[in-house]
Amino acid sequence: MNAHTDAGHTDSGHKEQALLEVRDFQVELITDAGIIRAVDSVSFSIHRGETVTIIGESGSGKSTTAMGILRLLPEDLAVLSGSVKIDGVDVIAEPKAIEKVRGKTLALIPQDPMTALSPVHSIGSQLSEAIRIAGAASTDKGAVQARAIRLLEQVHIPTPEKQLKKYPHQLSGGMLQRVLIAIALASEPQLLVADEPTSALDVTVQGGILDLLLELQEQRGIGILMITHDLGVARLISDRIHVMKDGSFVESGDVQQIVDHPATEYTRDLLAAVPVLGPWDETPGLPATTTTPDAALTNTGARHE
Amino acid sequence: MTNYILKRLGQGLLTVFLTVSTVFILIRLAPGDPAVSYAGPLATTEQLAKVREQFGLDRPVLEQYWIFLQQLFTGNLGTSYSFQAPALQVVAERMPYTLTLATASILLTAVVAIPLGVWMSRRPDTKSEFGVNVLTIAGQSMPDFWTGIMLLTGFAVLIPIFPASGFATWGGLVLPTVTIAILQIALISRMVRREMTTNFAAPYLTVARSRGIRNSILTWRYAMGNSAIPVFTALGTRFAAMLNGVVVVEVVFAWPGVGSLIVRALETRDYPLIQATVLLTALLAVGVQLVIDLAYPLLDPRVRLGKAAAA
Repeated sequence: MNAHTDAGHTDSGHKEQALLEVRDFQVELITDAGIIRAVDSVSFSIHRGETVTIIGESGSGKSTTAMGILRLLPEDLAVLSGSVKIDGVDVIAEPKAIEKVRGKTLALIPQDPMTALSPVHSIGSQLSEAIRIAGAASTDKGAVQARAIRLLEQVHIPTPEKQLKKYPHQLSGGMLQRVLIAIALASEPQLLVADEPTSALDVTVQGGILDLLLELQEQRGIGILMITHDLGVARLISDRIHVMKDGSFVESGDVQQIVDHPATEYTRDLLAAVPVLGPWDETPGLPATTTTPDAALTNTGARHE
Repeated sequence: MTNYILKRLGQGLLTVFLTVSTVFILIRLAPGDPAVSYAGPLATTEQLAKVREQFGLDRPVLEQYWIFLQQLFTGNLGTSYSFQAPALQVVAERMPYTLTLATASILLTAVVAIPLGVWMSRRPDTKSEFGVNVLTIAGQSMPDFWTGIMLLTGFAVLIPIFPASGFATWGGLVLPTVTIAILQIALISRMVRREMTTNFAAPYLTVARSRGIRNSILTWRYAMGNSAIPVFTALGTRFAAMLNGVVVVEVVFAWPGVGSLIVRALETRDYPLIQATVLLTALLAVGVQLVIDLAYPLLDPRVRLGKAAAA
């Protein structure tokens, strides 16, 4: 999973066009208390097959960044500036352009799967709708249904035909997140924005969802923008990490470098916030140097006691 | 499901029985004498006593109630003093008029209030939304007798398009319907807007938007689909309430329905007629409420399939 990561890696190292190219992106929120700059001049890029993680505490602006890129913030309350090029098209300069990429090249995996599907519509109807919008399959009912079943199989949902008839309240959070990933995959997207996709799930389910994302990335070369507050998640799946605080990046770089040699106090605090790294340490592919952050964690942790 | 329906039916019948019994006692406790209304102000004491005997009003209240119950189970609600006809028949003849007015009013309300509420929810904080908002507050605040008289003056007197009273032609339905609907539209449209606004802000809608779903589908299929339950309930409850007689409006427009009948029955202390009216309207209201409850599962899969959350 760290195939794209190398010490000398920079954004400009890629020859091909980036899937996502964010430059000096700003989000100003209009609130009763005045204008708040929730995202302050952030720049980053994601290429095919890469996972870039924005990590930070609640309120650091990481989710606002993701929602701003998708233009899903309320139009009258959020002022966006800078440039966000999705597959070469600047959706800040051309707001209408976002409609051409949503549900096509770009898909969102939401934070809380339990509230992310309409409760009065069946899984099948919401999945079929996404399939029809993607325009890939024919609009023939049988073809759409077959594709829906295939998508549910790809996210490892057992007995997909039965699940199609079910409603969101009949499935568990982990299953719903798989359904949402299947819906996201309906359009064969090139870029997934995953906004804390595991934070609302049980720890035992989290690993399965992350494994699924990695598997899909490997198969299809999807670029992923991962938003998380969990360094365990970040180190497992990221190529690059941007540490966000108060709306701007305080530290950016290779995942190993950030974990092993955090440059700022804030990053060290985030590292210290991971209580025990547990079995994910043994995930093959992680660097053998895991003892270093462990030691660092214990030290910092002790200092806070 | 059958158990549920039987249980609800039982509850409904109990409600109707208690309502009628309460009314039976209360009208006898209230001041006023049916005999005086019937025999006229110049009647002698002997004449009044005779009338009371004829109506059975000289007996103790409990005995009257016992006779009432016995007759109730044979479907006999007594003879109306003022109409000198079976009370139930008098009410049943008026019922279709009230049903027509209530149905027309609720349909007009739904057809106007739902799109209006959706329209308001889609344009928050605009001048046009503000204007409509003010109008709905006005509609909510105007008493219906005043609205009715204004409409009468406007569209039956100054510009005589519609008949001023009665139900001789279908045109006669227009003004009373509009009078009732103005208040209901004001209330329901604001409710629709509130529900829609809540659903527009719900996470599932943002996620649906991220899938490239068109605004019209987000509005009608998603937000409206999720707002339907409370809106449908409100419409049903208002309809049930209208069946009890839209009293003021029926009186203003001399509408030959149950509402104007109950006013006359109360004025003349026509006990059997009051009881029959209450019984019939209570039965209808309970029936409508039951239909609403039974329709829930159709609108909401969470009710239909149980709330049992998977682990």
